[in-house]
This record gives sequence, structure tokens and C-alpha cells, in this order.
Amino acid sequence: MTSLLLPRRTFLSGGLGALGVMALGLPALRAQTLTPVALQLSWLHSVQFAGSYIAREKGYWRDLGLEVALNPGGPNAPVEPPVVSGQALVGISAADYTAAAVEQGAPFKIIAVAMQKNPFVIASLPANPVNTPADLVGKRIGMALANTPVLQALCTINGVDINAIEIVPTQYDAAPLLANQVDCLLCWETDLPVAMAIQGVESVTMLMADHGYAVHSQTYIATDDSLANRRDQIVALMKGEVMGWNDYKADTAAATDLTLAAFPDQGLDRATQLMQAERQVPLMFSDLTDANGFGWFTEETVAQNIETLALLGRTVTPELWDRSILEAVHGG
Amino acid sequence: MTSPGLAVPRAAAPTRWPDFSRPLAIIGMVIGWELLARLLAGSYILSGPIDILAYLLGNAGLMTRALLVTLEAAAWGFLWGNLAACGLALVALLLPRLQPLISGLALIFFCLPLVATGPILRVLYGTGTGPQVTLAALAVYYTTYLCLLVGLRAAPASWFDLVRTYGRGRMTELLRIRIFATLPYFLAGLQIAAPAAFLGAMVGEFTGAERGMGVLAIRAMRGLDVDATWALASVAAAVSMLAYGALGWIGRRLGSVPPALLMAPPPASGRSPLGLRLALPLAMGLLTLGVVVLLWQGSMDGLGLNRFFAKRPGDVFAFLFTDAQAAANRATLLSAFGATISLALPGYLLGLMLGAAMACAIVIAPALSTTMLPIAIALRSVPIITTAPLITLALGRGAAGTITIVAVMIFFPTLVACLEGLRRTPGQVIDVFESYAASPLRRLTGAQIPAMLPAFFASARMAIPAAFLAATTAEWLATGGGIGSLMAMTASTSAYGMLWSAIVLLALTASLLYLLAGQLEHLVLSRFASEQLVK
Repeated sequence: MTSLLLPRRTFLSGGLGALGVMALGLPALRAQTLTPVALQLSWLHSVQFAGSYIAREKGYWRDLGLEVALNPGGPNAPVEPPVVSGQALVGISAADYTAAAVEQGAPFKIIAVAMQKNPFVIASLPANPVNTPADLVGKRIGMALANTPVLQALCTINGVDINAIEIVPTQYDAAPLLANQVDCLLCWETDLPVAMAIQGVESVTMLMADHGYAVHSQTYIATDDSLANRRDQIVALMKGEVMGWNDYKADTAAATDLTLAAFPDQGLDRATQLMQAERQVPLMFSDLTDANGFGWFTEETVAQNIETLALLGRTVTPELWDRSILEAVHGG
Repeated sequence: MTSPGLAVPRAAAPTRWPDFSRPLAIIGMVIGWELLARLLAGSYILSGPIDILAYLLGNAGLMTRALLVTLEAAAWGFLWGNLAACGLALVALLLPRLQPLISGLALIFFCLPLVATGPILRVLYGTGTGPQVTLAALAVYYTTYLCLLVGLRAAPASWFDLVRTYGRGRMTELLRIRIFATLPYFLAGLQIAAPAAFLGAMVGEFTGAERGMGVLAIRAMRGLDVDATWALASVAAAVSMLAYGALGWIGRRLGSVPPALLMAPPPASGRSPLGLRLALPLAMGLLTLGVVVLLWQGSMDGLGLNRFFAKRPGDVFAFLFTDAQAAANRATLLSAFGATISLALPGYLLGLMLGAAMACAIVIAPALSTTMLPIAIALRSVPIITTAPLITLALGRGAAGTITIVAVMIFFPTLVACLEGLRRTPGQVIDVFESYAASPLRRLTGAQIPAMLPAFFASARMAIPAAFLAATTAEWLATGGGIGSLMAMTASTSAYGMLWSAIVLLALTASLLYLLAGQLEHLVLSRFASEQLVK
């Protein structure tokens, strides 16, 4: 499988120029005119960020005068410190994480929203399904204890007594569900349920966003300072993102192949990545984005977020969101 | 090939074990593993050797590339960490008055958890393998330093008398005696360090790496890819076993038979007045504290780290004592601390006892080393995230599981250090026991255990930070309580004030326990192995 991918990678990068030049050890040719900036991703490389890879590989950023480093995240790589330090111009966070960081004194604004619908689901098995929040009563749920406020918010919105649910602290892993240590899991629509499906295990997922849990996810954040002083760079970065994600929506299979070719050392499985790419589409694109463009948010969606964030113990104002970058991107 | 247990000087076994006992034991273990995996099939928790082999063959290119990346970071970390340990030990030896300060600083840096160091290292280094190398180095320097400290003074007092008779000083002592005396201890330290470096590099990849075995491990765990998970764990364990074996082989090639210790009491030195004996450690403690605070503030200011995540001493003080929510912050921290310590302490004691007991068992029945050493190394070199599900399946998510995880982490370094100590029993003493036809048990309790004591206490000190590290990791992964989950929550809550307060509390506790272990060691050694006391 790897040997099949390598020629394609060579072909891609050769055709695209930038990578090919770098491979020859001559990066200086074009770098002189490009401004280097970094985008801090929130997790390991995967189709979760395929729009960004498209923007890079197809040269959208290069044409806008940027050379964008896509810095991977990980279990121990919070996004906020590199962004607050200026090491990354923009970071990919989530509304609840950003709200907490702002409460701790970080000067962040949310400038665009990749996941219009929060990807959190309650995943269960068909024999003992959780289809509605009321079904949670009497169930054992496997999750990180740190996510207790998330479950609490879901319960409050839907009038379910959280004390009637048994919380079992688990690793972020589907195995406890399959080993019958728990009845359901709190996880993302796009990871553990996909892993189970690839292993041939059918699962039931209840999207929390469909039950009132409105928290913007995969949000783009930048500091007040960058927004004031590096505005052009942020606009260019987001322009490339929007173009990349529009391509992604048009052809998720191509986006998947591009991701696999770009990261041969990541151990990515094509079937898994393709399914994840497809499941992301309804979370990222909606009537709102169809009408206004990728990443869009309105006073109304912000108000819903503020309401849910209050249930999570975060007091925020609409000023946390700043749409001026998106307006420049989609207007210009 | 001799097992470490057989290397006891002159303890040639009258009846040799048949040569095929070793392969038989290994084959038995592999079959047992395969059977257990078959038994657990469908639970996505354990993979057997056959599936693992198939996975490795099918993904040879990917695994080789990942292994090389992680191995390189681990090797650099191993080098830098051990060099740092040698430097620290030398300074501590040449300036004995500074030794408590150096040991204190070394301990406190070792207590810094990954949750705190990860983001800082990533911001400092940017992309690349800098954080992985640094974390690998941080994982090894402390254990090697402690091994060196024991080794550098593990020479017969009469040898030093000889040096002094010739009117030579410390430098001659160091070059002619101490370096040779410490070599076996140094090699034991390196053997302990090898798996730690590899694990450090792998866990370092959790801070946002482009590639490597740690990256693959995270993906495999989340992807329910049990074969990949255990293939990675097996490769990690195999690398560590190879490194352990190679270092042992080098040790034997160098003929580094430790000098026999003559059990003679040290020259009686005038005892200092009680007031001075109490005042000195206190002053040293305050000095260490002052240096730590200065280093902390100075390094963060010097590197220009943002206060948002790099909290300064003043921020922690405000968080715990002067802020509006200071009382609530303290209450949260202390209750979490109580939960952690109630698991870390039993696990610590259990791990120490098991390690020492196993070392003794191996000396009595050397054949045990064939099965026990590989298991011990594997347990130390496989990331907890891989083994924790197996342990929680067997023992549940309650106290037993966490205590076991802590004990497992401490068990291996203790075993290695104690084996090294047992090997140092003077041949003459063994001869005496043999000429009286004393049983191996009698020989063990009468001669070998006293010789092992310094190494045992060194492990007891090594294990203090390791116990906290293991307990907090287990809490994060399995039980969800205590300081571990407080610290893990930082990623989503940006509660860096709480994180740094937790670090301060853990470091203070570790330092106190370290001092306590030192007092206990002094008490016991002055009775059983007085020649190895620091003079």
C-alpha cells in the first residue's frame, strides 16, 4: 500500500512545484517572496484538516503570498499556548476551550467556525441504543471525567437527571463499549464510531447538536494583537482555508487521497479516512454556509452558543466572536 | 551468556541448568501470551504474537520509518540525559557541600509533568524533534545520577586510606578509584535508562509530532486497531530489551566486576553538635527552595514565555493565597492531592517490595531471570496507555488498578538496581558462608541483602517521582480523579494556575519524601553497611 502511494506523492509534489523544490533542497527560490505563518491544528494529521492540506498542496496560499506551516496537535499539545505566544498566527480550537482561555486572560477572538454542528455524540450499540437523551437514564457512560460539564449541559437542556447516569472514566477508546464495560460512550461522530464501523461493528450515534447542545467546534482563533497588526496575513490564511474546504466539499474522495499522499508516515487507513471525511460534511456545511460561505456564523448562532456555554459554566459575550475577517474573505 | 544472578562472584552453581531451559521458558511465555489473546478475542484489548507478526510484516515500511524517527530522538535524549547526569554527579562529588542542592534541583526538575512541560517545550522549539529529545533526556538523567552517586562512593574505605597515605587528594581518588568503582553502577543506570528514554521519546510525540511510534500509537488506540497497538508495544519492548541486553554485554566485556566491599566500619569521625546537624539540612532546604524560585522566574522571564500558560512563582502564590477564590482553589487542590497520595504511596511501597523481592528470588533461583527480566523490561517500556486497559480489565477501575500501575512502573528500576547491589557481595564473605555449607537463603539474609541495601535505597529515592508520575497518569486514563485528572483538564480549561500549583505541591511532597528516605537510609546503613555511608 505504501509503495503504491509513494509514486503518487512524488507526482503530486512534483506537479505542484513547492514540495518538489524543497525535496531538491532548494527552498530559497520561492520562500523569499512568501510570508511564513503557522496554523496550529488541534490534533494529529488526518482528513479532519483536509481543507488545509488542499490549500497547501494546490498552492492557494502560495498565490496569496503565504507559506503556511501546518503544525500538528496531539494529546499533550494544547492549541492556545502557541497562538498566545505568536508562534502560530491562527489556531484551531473550540468555543468552550476558547471561552475558558479568555477567562484565564488570553486575548482570543473566534474568527471562523469550521464545525457548525458540535461533533459530540453519544455512541451506543443497536442492542441497547441511546436514541434520545432520555435513554441515558440508567446507562453506564464511558468518558473522560473532564467532559462531565458537557454531559451535565446536555442533561440540563433535555431535563434528564445526571445522577441517574453512571459515569465510568475511560480512555478515549471504543474498546470499553465493545467489552461491555459501558453501555455508551461520549465521543466524536467522526472518530470512535468510524473505528467501530471499519471493524464491522454497527453503532448508534445520537448527535448532541440535534438535542440543543450548541457549541461551535473546530473554530479558528487569533489574538487581538494579530487581528490588529497582521490582519492581511489572517485574511489571506482564511481565504486559502475557505478555498480548500470548498474543494473538500466538492470531492471528499479526492481530499482523502490527497491527505493520504501528503502524510505517508501517519499510518492513515484510506477506508477510515474516507468515512471520516464523509461524516464531517454535514457537520461543517449547512444552509447557513451555503448562503454565506464556509466558516460563517450569525448573531443567532452566537446567541445559542452563549446559552450553552453558560450551562458549561462559561460566561461569554458576543464580543468573543469577530466576523470581520470572514466578511473580508467572502466580500473581497 | 550468564544471567545477572549468576554473576555473583564465586557463586558457581554445582549443577548447571540444562541449556534449553531458557528457550523453553521463552516459548512457554509466547504460547501463554497467544492463548490469553485468544481468550480475550473480540474485546479489542490484547493481540497475540501471530497477529502482531502479521501486522509487522504487512506494514514493515511504515513501522521501520516510525521506529527510526523515535529511536533517533530516544538516542539523543539518552546521550544528553546521561551526560547531564555524569556532569551533575561529578559536581556533587567534587563539591560535596553542594550535593544536597544539586540532588534537590535534579529531583524537582524530574517532577515536572508532561502536561506542563509539553506545551512549553513545543513553544520553545517550534516544530521538529526538540521536545521529544528533551523529554527523553528528562526521563533518564535522574535515575542515572542517583546510580552514579551510589557508585562513586561504593569503594572500600581502605583504598581511600591508601590514596591519603600517598598524600594524594580528591582528584586521584576520583580517577584511580571512584570511576572504576562506579562503572557497574553506571551501566546499571544506563540499563534502567534505556527503556525510559524510549518511552520518553514516544510520549514526547504526544506534544504534536509529525511522525513516529507515539503518533502511530495514538492513532491505533483510537482506531480500535489492536494489532497495530500491540505491534507498537512489542517493538518498543523489543528495542528496550535489546538495549538492556547490549548494555549488560558491554558491562561483562569490560569485565566490570565491582570491587568487593570489605565490611569494615568507617573511621570514627567526631560528631558535630546536635544543633548544627539540624540547622544544616534546614539551611540547605531553604537555599534549594530559593534557587528553585529564582531559576523558575528567571528562566521563564529570560525565555519570554507568556504568563497565560507559563505561570511564575508569584502567580502560583496569588492563586493559592491572595486571589478571591484562593480558598476554593486550595480546597480543590488538596482534595485531589489526598486522592492521589492515597494511591501513589501504596503503589510505591508495593513496587519497591516486589522489585527487591524479585531480585532476591533471582539470586536464589537464577533460572527465574529468564522469564522475569523480559517481563519487567516490557512492563517498563510499553506506554501505560497500552497496558492500562488490560490492567483495568483485570483489576477494575478502582484503587487496585491504579496501585498496580504505580507498582509496575517502580518495579523494574528497583529490580535492576537491587540485582546490581546483590552482585556486590564480597567473594570472601560468600566463601565463609559456603565453607559452613549455609543455605542460599541464609547466605542471602546474612550477606547479600546487607550488600544490596545502598542500591535499594537509591531505588527508593528514584521511585518517588516515578510513583507520582504513574499515579497521575493512571488517574488521567483510568480513574478520572485526583491530581492527574486536574492536570489533564488543563488542556480544555486553560487552568494553568491550577496546573502549576499542583506541580509545586507534588515537587514539595517528593522532596520531603526524598529527605525522609535519606534519613531512613542513614539509619539502616549505619547499622548494616556502614562503609557505604557518605562521609
